[in-house]
Amino acid sequence: MTSARRSIIIVGGGASGVLLAAHLLHDKAHDIRVTLIEKRRVVGQGIAYSSSQQNHVLNVPAPNMGAYADDPEHFWRWAIERKLISDKQRFVFLPRRHYGAYLADVLADASVGGQLTLIGHTAVDLKQSSAGVEVVLANGASVVGHAAVLAVGHEENPDRSKGIAVRVGSEADTPLDPDAAAMILGSGLSMVDAWLTLSQAKHRGPITIVSRHGLLPLRHKAVDKIELAAADVPFGTALQYFEHWFRETVDEVVGRDGDWRSVVDAIRPFNQRIWQSWPEASKRRFLEHVRPFWNIHRHRLPPDLHQQMVEAVESGQVTLVAGKLVDLKRGDGVVEATIRARGAGATRTLEVARVYDCGGVTVDVNRSSNPLIQALLASGQARPDPLHIGLDVTTACQVIGTDGADSDRLFAVGPLTRGTFWEIEAIPDIRVQVAAVARSLAAPVEQSSVANQAPF
Amino acid sequence: MLTAKGKYGLKALIYLAQIPEPGLALVSDVAAENNIPKKFLDAILLELRNAGFVQSRKGKGGGYRLARSPDEIKVGSVVRVLDGPLAPYPCASHTRYQPCEDCDVKTCQVRHTMLTVRNAIAEVLDSTTLAQMRDADEEVLPIEFKRRTRR
Repeated sequence: MTSARRSIIIVGGGASGVLLAAHLLHDKAHDIRVTLIEKRRVVGQGIAYSSSQQNHVLNVPAPNMGAYADDPEHFWRWAIERKLISDKQRFVFLPRRHYGAYLADVLADASVGGQLTLIGHTAVDLKQSSAGVEVVLANGASVVGHAAVLAVGHEENPDRSKGIAVRVGSEADTPLDPDAAAMILGSGLSMVDAWLTLSQAKHRGPITIVSRHGLLPLRHKAVDKIELAAADVPFGTALQYFEHWFRETVDEVVGRDGDWRSVVDAIRPFNQRIWQSWPEASKRRFLEHVRPFWNIHRHRLPPDLHQQMVEAVESGQVTLVAGKLVDLKRGDGVVEATIRARGAGATRTLEVARVYDCGGVTVDVNRSSNPLIQALLASGQARPDPLHIGLDVTTACQVIGTDGADSDRLFAVGPLTRGTFWEIEAIPDIRVQVAAVARSLAAPVEQSSVANQAPF
Repeated sequence: MLTAKGKYGLKALIYLAQIPEPGLALVSDVAAENNIPKKFLDAILLELRNAGFVQSRKGKGGGYRLARSPDEIKVGSVVRVLDGPLAPYPCASHTRYQPCEDCDVKTCQVRHTMLTVRNAIAEVLDSTTLAQMRDADEEVLPIEFKRRTRR
């Protein structure tokens, strides 16, 4: 047996990349080198956790936000140590910027011993050989290792924005006249971020929120846990059948003075398995018709934020429109946003000073703005999953090429794998996924295995 | 809880998994070949259709066929649809839990063990596909069992 040190390259230093690096380096028994490539030059500051706003909070209570799969309370204890909360507080939603700082700490702890290298560049290409992988950077340099993991997170430039709609907090999000009209596309948790940013800036102008169903996220509440076992869940049934079972179970729990949230939370450990058990037709139908309703029940708002949001709608400052964006045009110092309300034949055009794109994190991977993803698709090393919402990967996170073969050197984690895992956006899900990938990457390899040879 | 209904349903599906595509089977044939009461089988097939495992066509030349490939259908999924949550006894379930009149749930040692049995049932049935069940002929059965079935 050779005892060659394994060398793993992680592309992406947002939450999923950091969590993977931490899992790989945490166990000092493994002799592993990790190279983390992150263009922002700061780790743990991806789309989700780079917000500097005090009222952009986590939407998962602190005791379930730990970085490690076997220690969910790790973040909660970190926050107590830093006196951000007391150990009496459990149902608490901390500002997201603390989480960015926490991730940086987690990585710093894990990298004691110098097993971690950070590279502040953009990865643009990747080559696989029988010996390993080579990741090419935008400056022409390249990094070699035994295996590479794509942890590039959410799409950063949804193409419906046409370069006109902006992301909250991005460079294009310049200060806005507080009396100007604004529009927000999407009504999920990112919309709440945008709205909070505006209200923090004392925005008084009207805000129109446009989403398919015009539904606001529902309110978080501390509820009793109920038990649900795999033996209870009707895996592999048609979507309608499943929905019926779900409603029946909710009715039963509510009938016993319980709460629907308990059921939504209780099936969470099975969500990935449920998704994987469905035929493709059910998956499509779910994405098209059920997802908006599922999302508002599943991704809930902390109670105080929910209250503020409801009040803003009641006061008339915020208008919710169920409908679709038809077109965006740049007018004379304004944006002309054409929308069609649900069920209406005619469109109408609103003049607004700014359009925020806060929806559609699920975009066709073929239109990814990430150069490395484009290179992998073009070279056939990767292909879209059947629903085109991410890359096609095995349940072990191996990237599948156009020839249908899965790679033993190229992996993907996080939102990019949603075609296979569906719910793979929240920390509690990602930490479990990266723990499994870390285990397989760190496992002792047979001498004959390609992954144990020196790369190149 | 496991019942004859689930067993009949599995037998019917195995029968359907054996007819060459794109053929359809008559309910009366499925019933006769497997010794299943026809009326009972009608009800079973209707439930399997609602759950997306079989398709039916009415009229002349009509009948039933599988809606999904037999290697995509897990035995456990079929049993849950027909028999409800997997459980050896009605008390060993969370969602369709029925307390027994004769024992105290909290202290019942039998129930504790039966919850473990339930999980074991789920594990076996969820890792077995309809195709595997169809192809499990006498060769792979334990010898004891083989002798008995042969008589």
